[in-house]
Amino acid sequence: MSIFRISSREKTLVRIAPITEKPRVDRHMRVALLRARRNAAFAEELKDQQEFDRAISELVKAVPVSQEIAEWFRNEKLIPQEKRSWKKAIRNPVILSIVTSLAVIAGIAVFILFERMHDFPGSDTARKLLTIASATRATQLESVQTEAGALGDLFFMKYRLEHYDVPAEFADLRTDGARVFDDDEGHRVAQISVPENRMQLFLFPADRDPKKAQVREFSGWKFVEQEGWSGAVQIRDGVCFMAALRGEQRDLAPYLAKAQE
Amino acid sequence: MTGDSAKAQEAFQSTLRDAALRTANREALRDRLWFFSQARWRCLAASEEGLQPEHSTLDECEVRPHAAAQVRQLQPEELAVWISGAPDPQRSALAAYYLDEFSLSEMLALLALNPKELSKLICAGRRQFQAWLNATTPEYDEP
Repeated sequence: MSIFRISSREKTLVRIAPITEKPRVDRHMRVALLRARRNAAFAEELKDQQEFDRAISELVKAVPVSQEIAEWFRNEKLIPQEKRSWKKAIRNPVILSIVTSLAVIAGIAVFILFERMHDFPGSDTARKLLTIASATRATQLESVQTEAGALGDLFFMKYRLEHYDVPAEFADLRTDGARVFDDDEGHRVAQISVPENRMQLFLFPADRDPKKAQVREFSGWKFVEQEGWSGAVQIRDGVCFMAALRGEQRDLAPYLAKAQE
Repeated sequence: MTGDSAKAQEAFQSTLRDAALRTANREALRDRLWFFSQARWRCLAASEEGLQPEHSTLDECEVRPHAAAQVRQLQPEELAVWISGAPDPQRSALAAYYLDEFSLSEMLALLALNPKELSKLICAGRRQFQAWLNATTPEYDEP
């Protein structure tokens, strides 16, 4: 169906189209007039109608009016302008689209701001490692069955990774696998698999300030979330530790509470 | 609206007096079209006094391409008399429409009509006026 097909309702409106161009023409009327002008058969009829109406309107304006009435209308506004209510304005599709788009932009801005508020040095790497955690298979890891706290020595002796120590909160957990790999920026990352809650532990170099070559420190535990996984991150001696599991931040809370006790 | 300038002036003045009285009594005129709606009813009341025209069915004819030129041959008073002779609400509809001062929604509010009714009255008025034009300006030569 053509978008310029004119309905019977629009034909009704076109037959009472404004005689002269007016600024406050109703949207339905504007659409009806547009369609009528695009319709070859109706356009001719509309042209004749408007010429006829204009001629009559000019004649009406020439009807003599008494001096007294003419004087009164010269000093008074014929029809007071109607104030556009906000309810009517909000229903205008243009304003509605602008308001909706502004709301979406504001929503995105708030979301980004909220994310940034929770950011910390190394949070981007932590998120990437959560993605790796979700994709890691048991066969990718070297089988190591010991306490997580004992693996610091293994990483130092075998891979010469200093300070790759598991914090006390997670040191007692039994492991079933571990590996060391290079991430996409060439940093050495240690990954430990823990059967309890199918948890994974990561140790990776902390972010450094490129100008001063100093480690960007932060204090306490910080949290990241990615693809249904949550991670608790801590920094010590220039190395970040992250405990990750599938779930929410609150699932990590019992482990972190141990240290406080 | 009345076909008589004295009656029209009287309707206008009595509406003005009413508006002034209401303003003096601090009665706000909430309806912005109050003045026009009052003037209309007063004009209708005034035109019902005295001799009344016979009700008859007028001939109708489709608006022709040269109709505008035919209209330009008329005197304003001839048009005023023709409109004032139309039955109401067609008379009010023609007067409000050809005054070319009101928006569609204002006209509908003023005349208490819906768009279909207004369209029907205006279309009929155009066709009747065209038929009257054909009868009064028969010597018009089509270009």
